[in-house]
Amino acid sequence: MAAFLLSVHVVAAVVFVGSVTVAVSLFPRYARLALDRTTAATAVPVVHLLHRITGVYAVLALAVPVFGLAVAAQLDVLGDAWVQVSMALTVLAGALLAGAVLPGQRRLLQAVGAGSGEQLGGAAVVTARGQRVDAAALLRRLGMVSGVFNLVWVAVVVLMIVRPGSTTGV
Amino acid sequence: MCEVLPRRLRIAATAETASLVVLLTNLATVHVPSIADVLGPVHGSCYLVVIALSWQLPAPARVRALSLVPAIGGLLVLRAWRRPVAGDR
Repeated sequence: MAAFLLSVHVVAAVVFVGSVTVAVSLFPRYARLALDRTTAATAVPVVHLLHRITGVYAVLALAVPVFGLAVAAQLDVLGDAWVQVSMALTVLAGALLAGAVLPGQRRLLQAVGAGSGEQLGGAAVVTARGQRVDAAALLRRLGMVSGVFNLVWVAVVVLMIVRPGSTTGV
Repeated sequence: MCEVLPRRLRIAATAETASLVVLLTNLATVHVPSIADVLGPVHGSCYLVVIALSWQLPAPARVRALSLVPAIGGLLVLRAWRRPVAGDR
């Protein structure tokens, strides 16, 4: 049964987390094009789609840690350091996605909607705290957070493969 | 988005409750361990998906917090969310 749960866990990780990482890393690039008057027409639908993919697949990706926990419980490795570090990194990635990446994407979509026809840097967004923020600054920040988010997943995958200190053969 | 979200939430909420019903029925009757192994994580995923989807609803925090209720949280959110909408019409 552990093999079945592990299969679901890996397939869900490849399909759902994989889609999210691709959409998250492409978003800042296309958002830059969407904020530029000359390329906005083609890029605006793309950023809306990328934001949608990020949001929808992020929800579906919740299955990955749940099935991962089930596998770890079956294999009796929940106490292992590599599992616990992976779980902590997964929580960090989830917090980054829900707390920084998705809100950043939403704000940039507002800027794309409000500032259409303006050059990059002309568009500004009002944050939750009521300050007006330059869209270009938001874009740089989102790019950085998105990179960190993807790096966290790389670290988790490496931990899953190397499993330092593990003796299980699965 | 406002049209798709409740439909998705309904699917996830139904799966959340149905999977638990099957799990408990299994526990009370035949008790096949492999059913519990498979449906346990399915139920857990549905629980989290219901919470994530409810949080995106344009509803008061009190309504969204109902999603945290185990087993029937999603159905409670849908019921509480529908009521004022039905009253407006």
